[in-house]
Amino acid sequence: MAKAKRQQAISIESLPFNAEHYREWRRRQIIRMAVTYLAPLVILIFYFHFRYIGLEEDNRRVHLGAIAEHQANILDLFLSERRVNLANLIDHPRFSIPPSSEDMNEYLGDLRRVSDAFIDLGFFDSSGVQVSYAGPHTSLESRDYRDEDWFSKLRGRTENFVITDIYLGFRQQPHFTIAVSRTVGARFLVLRATLDPARMYEYIESQQMAGDVITCIINRSGAYQLVNETLGHPLDMCLLPVSADEPSGFGSFKSETGLRHYSFWWMNNTDWALIAQSVPGAQSILGSPQSRTLMVSAALLLVAVVVIVNRAGKLVAQQKETDQTRAQLEHAAKLASVGELASGIAHEINNPLAVITEESGLLMDYMDPRFGHKLGEKELHERLDTIQKSAFRCRDITRKLLRFVRKTDFDLQEHDVHTIIDGVIDDLLGPEIEVSKIRVKRNYDQSLPKLPTDTNQLQQVILNIINNASDAIGDAIGQITISTSRRGKKILISIQDTGCGMSPEQLHKVFMPFFTTKEVGKGTGLGLSVSYGIVRGLGGEIEVESTIDVGTTFTLVLPIR
Amino acid sequence: MSNKIRLLIVDDEEQFLESIAKRLEMRDFDVRTATRGAEAVEIAREEKFDLALLDLKMPGMDGKQVLEVLKQEHKYIEVIILTGHGSVDSAVDCTKLGAFGYLPKPYELEKLLDTLKQAYHVRMEKKFQVDEERMEKIAKLATGSSPLAILRELKKLDDEEK
Repeated sequence: MAKAKRQQAISIESLPFNAEHYREWRRRQIIRMAVTYLAPLVILIFYFHFRYIGLEEDNRRVHLGAIAEHQANILDLFLSERRVNLANLIDHPRFSIPPSSEDMNEYLGDLRRVSDAFIDLGFFDSSGVQVSYAGPHTSLESRDYRDEDWFSKLRGRTENFVITDIYLGFRQQPHFTIAVSRTVGARFLVLRATLDPARMYEYIESQQMAGDVITCIINRSGAYQLVNETLGHPLDMCLLPVSADEPSGFGSFKSETGLRHYSFWWMNNTDWALIAQSVPGAQSILGSPQSRTLMVSAALLLVAVVVIVNRAGKLVAQQKETDQTRAQLEHAAKLASVGELASGIAHEINNPLAVITEESGLLMDYMDPRFGHKLGEKELHERLDTIQKSAFRCRDITRKLLRFVRKTDFDLQEHDVHTIIDGVIDDLLGPEIEVSKIRVKRNYDQSLPKLPTDTNQLQQVILNIINNASDAIGDAIGQITISTSRRGKKILISIQDTGCGMSPEQLHKVFMPFFTTKEVGKGTGLGLSVSYGIVRGLGGEIEVESTIDVGTTFTLVLPIR
Repeated sequence: MSNKIRLLIVDDEEQFLESIAKRLEMRDFDVRTATRGAEAVEIAREEKFDLALLDLKMPGMDGKQVLEVLKQEHKYIEVIILTGHGSVDSAVDCTKLGAFGYLPKPYELEKLLDTLKQAYHVRMEKKFQVDEERMEKIAKLATGSSPLAILRELKKLDDEEK
C-alpha cells in the first residue's frame, strides 16, 4: 500500500503539470463533449417530446370526438325511438279519444315494455288540461299545463313534437318530457310521456366503449341534463366552455389532477350537447406517455453523462501518459545534450591540460640531475609561457561555456540594423580585414524598419559569423557579402562567404557545442552554438546553406514584432 | 641499428608533441613526430617503428584512420591511443581496430611509460614467435629443395616481414 502510494507520488512528480491542471483539463473535456454530444441529444429529445405530445393530443381529440359523436348518435336514436313510440300510440286507429284510465294504463304498460325509461303518460286536450293520466303521480291528473313551457312551444310550433330539458316540474323530481301533438278535425290533442333521466344515463353508460372516458349531457344554457355523480348533479351548471354555434368541438381544461380534455357534440333531436371527457388517473403503470418519454430521455441522458465522464477520465489518463512520456523524453534529451556538452568540454580542456602536464614534466626532467640536461633561460621562459597560454585556453573555454549556459537578459531597443552591422565591420573587424585579402561587400535594403534588438548580443552573433567566414576563406582572395532584406514581418541578415564550404555532415552539426573544423587552439566550437542561443533568445532563427569549395551563407531571420 | 624503442607520436597539438617527444627521448626512446595523420602514415612507410602514440581527434585523417592504415601496413607495430575525449565508445572502437591500449589525456608519465613497455613487450613476443616460425621454415627449406626454390621462398618470407 505504502509502496503503491509512493510510486504514485513519484509518477505525479514526474508530470510536467500539477493535479489542478488535469482537473481543469478534465472539466473542459467534459464540457466540450457535453456540448458536442449532449446538446444535440437534448434538442432531439425535446423535439420528439413535443412532436409526441402534439400527436398524442391529435389522437386524443379524434378519440374523444369519436366517442362524443357515437354517444350523441345513440342518444339521438334513443330519443327518436321514444318519440316514435308516442307518435305510433297516438296515431294508432284503436287509440280512443279521450282515453280512459284503463286505456292509459294499458298504453303505459306497452311503452314500459319497450323502454323502462318511461315514467308516466298523460293525455291533454287543446286547453292544456291533463284529461287522463297513467303513472305514479296520480295527483297530477286534471292539472292545467296550459302555461307550461313545453305546451306553449308545442302549440306554437310547426313541428308536432317537443323534447324538453330536464326540469323538476310539479313533482319536484328531475325528469324530462317528450310530447307529440295531433290535430284531429278541429281538436288539438297532445300525448305526453315523462322519462327518467337516470334510466337514460344507464343506457348510455352501458353503451360506453372505453373506460377512460366519462360522458355527460348539458343543455343550451350549460346546465347538466344527464351527469355522472363524480361530475355533479342534474341542473347544476357545467363549467366547461361549450360553443353553442358549432356542431361539435374540442377543448381542454385544468383540473386538480392535471390537464383534461373533452369533446362535445350537439344532438339533433334536442338542444342537448353530449360531452365526452377523459378520466383523470386512467394511466398505465409506467405513467403517462409524456412521463414515459421523459423517463426514457432521462435514462438516455444519464447513460450519455456516464459515458462522457468516463471518456473524459480516460482522456485525462491518456494525456497524463503522453505528458509523462514527453517529459521523460525531454529529460533524456537534456541528459544527452549535457553528455555531449560534457564530452566536448572534456576534450577541449584535457588537451591544454596535457600540454601543461607535459611542459611542466619536461621542466622537472631538466632539473633532474639523472638526465644531465641544462636548461637555458630562454627555453625556460618559452616553456612557462606555453603553460600559461594553455591555462588561459582552459579559462576561455569555461568562460564561453558559461555564456553558452547562462540565460542572458536581453536589452531590447529599436535599432537600425545597418548601423549595427557597420559597427561590427568597421569598428570591430576593420583592422583585421584591411590586412587580409578579403573584400567586404554591403548589400543593404534601405527601406528596412527599425529592429527591436540587443545591439551587443546581435553584434556578437554577426562578429562570430563574419569571423567564421573569414576563417573559411583563409589566406585566399575572397569576398564576404552582407545583405539585408525583408520577409513578411521578419528582417533577414545574410552573410555569404566564398570560403571552403562545408559537407552535409558538417552542416548538420554546425550549431552543436564544441563542433569545430578549425585547428587546435583556434576554435572552441562554441561560437555558433552561442550565436544560435542568442538568436533564439531574440525570437529568431539562423539558416545555413553551404556548398564545398563554393562557400557558405548564414542568414539571421529576426522578427520585427 | 640502435636498440632503442622506435616510437612514432602523432598529435595536432604541436606544443604537446614537442615536449612529450623530448621527455621520451630523455628516457631513451627513438622518437619521430607528426602533426597530421597522412604525414604519420608516410613516415611509417619510410622507417620502421615498434610503437605508435596516436591522438584521436585530428584535422584531416583522424587517429582511427591512421590506426587502421598502420595496422594494415605494418605487421608488428603496436598502437596506443592518446585522447582528451574521454568517451568509452571510442576506446572500444579502437580496441576493435587493434589498438594495444587507450590513455586519456592528461596522464601520469609513469603510466604512459608502463603502457609503452607492455606494448613493446607484446610486440617483441609476437616478433619472436614469428621469427621462430621463420627459422623452422628456413630449416625445412634447406632440406631438399632446389636452390632457386629456396631463393623464391626466402624472398617471400622477406616480403612478409615488412
